Amino acid sequence: MGLISLILVAAALAAAQQDTPAKAVAILQSQCAQCHSASARMSGLDLTSHAGLLQGGSRGPALGLLLKAVQRTDPRLAMPPTKALSTEDVATLSAWIDAGAKWPATTPAAAVQSSQWWSFKKPMRPAVPRSGSEWVRGPIDEFILAKLTANGLKPASAASLAALARRASYDLTGLPPNQALPDNWEKFVDSLLESPRYGERWGRHWLDLVRYSDTAGFEIDPYIPDAWRYRDYVIDSFNSDKPYDRFIREQLAGDEFFPEDPVANTGTGFFCVGPNLDLYPDQADVNRVQVLTDYVDTTAGVFLGLTAGCARCHDHKFDPIPQRDYFRLQAIFAPAVKVKVALSRLDSLGYEVQENVREIKLREYGDQIAAIQARCKKGGRPTDDEIRACLTLDETARLHALEKKLVAMFANYRPKPFACGVTDVGDFAPRTTIPNKGGAVVPPGFFSALGGGDIPEVQTFSRPTTGPIPLMPTTGRRHALASWLTNPDHPLTARVIVNRVWQYHFGRGIVATPSDFGMRGRAPSHPELLDWLATEFVAQGWSFKKLHRQILLSAAYRQSAGASAEAKVKDPENQLLSHFARRRLDADEIRDSVLSVTGALNLAMGGRPVVPPLSKEELFNMIGRADDSWVVTADARQHDRRGIYMIQKRTFRLPMMETFDAPESMATCPRRDSSTTAPQSLTLLNGPFAVARARAMAAELKGADPEVIAAAFNRILLRAPTPEERQSAAAFLERQSVNMNDRTAAVAELVRGLLNLNEFLYVD
Amino acid sequence: MITRRQLLTRAGMGFGAVAASALLQAASDNPLAPRKPPGDAKAKAIIYLFMHGGVSHVDTWDPKPELTRLSGQTLPASFAQGLKTSRIDFTKAIIRGTPWKFSHHGRSGTEVSELFPHMAKHVDEFVLVRSCYGDAFDHAPAMYLRSTGSMVPGKPCLGSWSVYGLGSENQNLPAFVVMSDGAMKSGPQGYGAGYLPAVYQGTVFRAGATPILDLATPEGINAPAQRTTLDFIHQMDQRHLAARPGDDELEARIAAYELAYRMQSTAPEAVDISKESAATRKLYGIGEPATDDFGRKCLLARRMVERGVRFIQLYSGTHQGDDWDGAHSDLQGSHVKMAAKSDLPVHGLLTDLKSRGLLDSTLVVWSSEFGRTPLAEGRNGRDHHPYAFSMWMAGAGIQGGRVLGSTDEFGLRPASDPLDAHDVNATILRLMGLDHLKLTYLYQGRDQRLTDVHGDREFTKFLLRA
Repeated sequence: MGLISLILVAAALAAAQQDTPAKAVAILQSQCAQCHSASARMSGLDLTSHAGLLQGGSRGPALGLLLKAVQRTDPRLAMPPTKALSTEDVATLSAWIDAGAKWPATTPAAAVQSSQWWSFKKPMRPAVPRSGSEWVRGPIDEFILAKLTANGLKPASAASLAALARRASYDLTGLPPNQALPDNWEKFVDSLLESPRYGERWGRHWLDLVRYSDTAGFEIDPYIPDAWRYRDYVIDSFNSDKPYDRFIREQLAGDEFFPEDPVANTGTGFFCVGPNLDLYPDQADVNRVQVLTDYVDTTAGVFLGLTAGCARCHDHKFDPIPQRDYFRLQAIFAPAVKVKVALSRLDSLGYEVQENVREIKLREYGDQIAAIQARCKKGGRPTDDEIRACLTLDETARLHALEKKLVAMFANYRPKPFACGVTDVGDFAPRTTIPNKGGAVVPPGFFSALGGGDIPEVQTFSRPTTGPIPLMPTTGRRHALASWLTNPDHPLTARVIVNRVWQYHFGRGIVATPSDFGMRGRAPSHPELLDWLATEFVAQGWSFKKLHRQILLSAAYRQSAGASAEAKVKDPENQLLSHFARRRLDADEIRDSVLSVTGALNLAMGGRPVVPPLSKEELFNMIGRADDSWVVTADARQHDRRGIYMIQKRTFRLPMMETFDAPESMATCPRRDSSTTAPQSLTLLNGPFAVARARAMAAELKGADPEVIAAAFNRILLRAPTPEERQSAAAFLERQSVNMNDRTAAVAELVRGLLNLNEFLYVD
Repeated sequence: MITRRQLLTRAGMGFGAVAASALLQAASDNPLAPRKPPGDAKAKAIIYLFMHGGVSHVDTWDPKPELTRLSGQTLPASFAQGLKTSRIDFTKAIIRGTPWKFSHHGRSGTEVSELFPHMAKHVDEFVLVRSCYGDAFDHAPAMYLRSTGSMVPGKPCLGSWSVYGLGSENQNLPAFVVMSDGAMKSGPQGYGAGYLPAVYQGTVFRAGATPILDLATPEGINAPAQRTTLDFIHQMDQRHLAARPGDDELEARIAAYELAYRMQSTAPEAVDISKESAATRKLYGIGEPATDDFGRKCLLARRMVERGVRFIQLYSGTHQGDDWDGAHSDLQGSHVKMAAKSDLPVHGLLTDLKSRGLLDSTLVVWSSEFGRTPLAEGRNGRDHHPYAFSMWMAGAGIQGGRVLGSTDEFGLRPASDPLDAHDVNATILRLMGLDHLKLTYLYQGRDQRLTDVHGDREFTKFLLRA
């Protein structure tokens, strides 16, 4: 071997040795730094600097453990948690450590910042593919078609107009369409978006997400004062197409952004409608912890699509959320306290005065009544009959006069002009510490992996006011949180919400785990489409209605339901959207539709929750006595309003709604179950609600059999019966008339039957 | 009857590896199909007797002569430390001795108070645990804690987990039956499925001939009319399905209507005790005013076990009216009354299960959400006491006649073998052949367990003397 060759070999060897540290550190940066960075420091370990490596973490020096972790010899210490390193990478790290784990002189700067995970990086607007296909109606379709084509699949044929009208109407309003066959699709979609029913439907989705309930839960399950104001606020917000960034600001910090706007303050009801033990003074300590936990878990789940809850007790095992980050988020809420939001300054003052007078009068009249009745007391408490028997005519007259006055006091009784909300106790906050971790104060801040730092302590965050008196100062912590979340460049906010909207339309999200965009969540089926939608959503002013329109006008949405034989094999989950996914109506849709098609639905909006009548059997397992806890709304027409206006108790769901998977509202619910069970069949077949509706509709159906059959089909199934169906329905009526010896009862059976059909319960 | 595929692919939900493979092994797509337990199952069914309201341990299962000796005095300060309830101050309240006599029973000589003369006959069949404790001192959170492993409601309960793990042996009856006197302090969340699919929810059996809500054909509709309407639904659904071939969910719903119809006859048959012999009824105290109600429930529990129901949760006491919790102001009145209602029926149940050879494969659990303070509340009461209380477990191969754990001389805290709700639940799952560490459900990014991160003091081995 010549000299030159030797020199070359030596140079190559030296280069290889020099390369190892660079390679090793590159591996650390791409595979470990997401969690073990200077900011995230999971297990106290920072692998992005030489000092951090030498210092190690809470388990001890890093060098001794690093190899063990990547070789995965000990299941308790196998890293990275979700995916093993390649043998090549492990070998590189091993060689590097053997050679003394030297840190390279220069490190690639870009990699030092963590955030390798796709959803933690800012969405970049992708180029829209151009297929030139006639099927395509807009950008959404290009993305869908590109994936289908790449996987050897074709989109399904377009759905019939009737099927589409029904689908869109349920999707946007939760009700069957008024028009069976719209003549202009675009106008039809617009009319649905303009309908007040839209806000009720999409408000329902939002209320599921924010674990809305009219009561607080637990043993007494008391009412949350004025919770329904928040429910109405949500419905109004959707109906007015409130930009999502504004919607977030109002809910998280309406009191800080728009302190003089009662509507914005009502948004902070977000913090009041969750489970709580506010009325258990002996558990104030437990309650505060549970309520703060609820705030963090709900906020992280709803707005960030992250499962922060794991990090409450320890560093998150899969996502780069150290325990400290959990408590930084919690510190944001630490100064927040519940307040009564005055909806109108004047009305609210007037109301307080009126209440004050009412109370004085109530006591006075009460004393007078007691004085009249006192004479009748003999030992124990007399019964009403005993009192009546003992009173003189004059006394009776005086009693009646007092009763009249009492009733008159409440004659014009209106809901009080308050909503529930929060604001800070002041411009200071209770200390937040990590339990059992030495008691160091955790400053408020955002998740470090998302690039959020601490919230700078603003000495006096002053709330904007136009009035002469300065408003009580707040810490500005929630203001900072909402500002951070609504930054157009935020990696998660827009992605998470467009994915939710997509899911409610197509039955599954582009990310199939709508509240988990972390490493245990499902990977997006169409990452480019998700980013396109997210950036477009922000560009269009965070408008929900524009997003719906975009989706509903697409060819992808207009496909017919049902998988082709090929799609069933190649894409059984329909991730690629080669057809529309048939879905069952949800609990609210079923109830509202039964009311609607049988002609009873009362479309009045807003107001105090309605308590519908239930049978004794239905009330069987409710906490508390029915006459205390289930005071039926006196006006019977109210009972036929939409499900969203029915009372939602945290410990007791309307039995029919519960059977059809209405959520329990203990925690955020990003997607309702859609189960198929025998009790569902029982409730729709035999339950008092369905039976009463069938009978009421039958009583209205007049005419001979053919007319009755046609009318029943038209109203319930939105179509005429086929000749074959007309025949079998006629035979059915005839047989039932014999069975029941009553034609109206037979017609009721026809209606009851139709209300139980899959055709009625499913949307194609 | 969601399909297996849908179950497995439903967004936001996955399965722990073990549960998923168990599901995949199931013969059908039915989430309630019976599944072979992954471990050695001692019990096929569970009857969980839940004494709702809080039973005083120091007056029933845990004799404390010191209480009687020091009755009327205050506690030594060191004992009072760290204990708190809603209504009494442990540093000031006085010690109250038990008004009931304890005596030795069975070959084992286990001491039981005269409140439970009938259950006392079975001490040799059960293991009495005297060292239970929890940390929730109000009813609802304590009940959630016992059943779901969490003080905050909304988590799946033991019954739901059992059915999730094992399915049901009887497809014509609910897999998980709950019997109560109505409103309970926990509300339905005490037997809820939480984040598990709704099919695993407990079904409440009401008293009377049609135990399940909406089971009865509506008034005014006779049997032929009901069948005719069902046939019409079936015919229309088949036509609808023909145009949408291969949709499992539509097929499942058609089947659900048939199942609903079958339940209309199987469920009333299951609760019809008219064919039970007079001796059997007497054994349970049916016909006697005090014991009739709970006796019927216990007898129904046996009938459910015979029919392959997996989990029967039976509550004694309600939110209003008759309640163990009456002990706040009237210890004697409440406990005498509630014991009189339930003691004989439980004796009947154990006797009957044994004579029919069912006790070997049925686990019977007797428990309460907490005990009651050894200190006095007011003139004649005891407050809630989660810091120590007693329970027992029988059947399922348990080697009875033994006591596990003990409390200090006042019955304030466990003195040995402290066991919390998680330890008990881990043990119960194990007796069903389920490993509490492996029975998981992916929710909110985490493989959730009934026992969360606890349950490491599982005591199955002690129970089986293995």
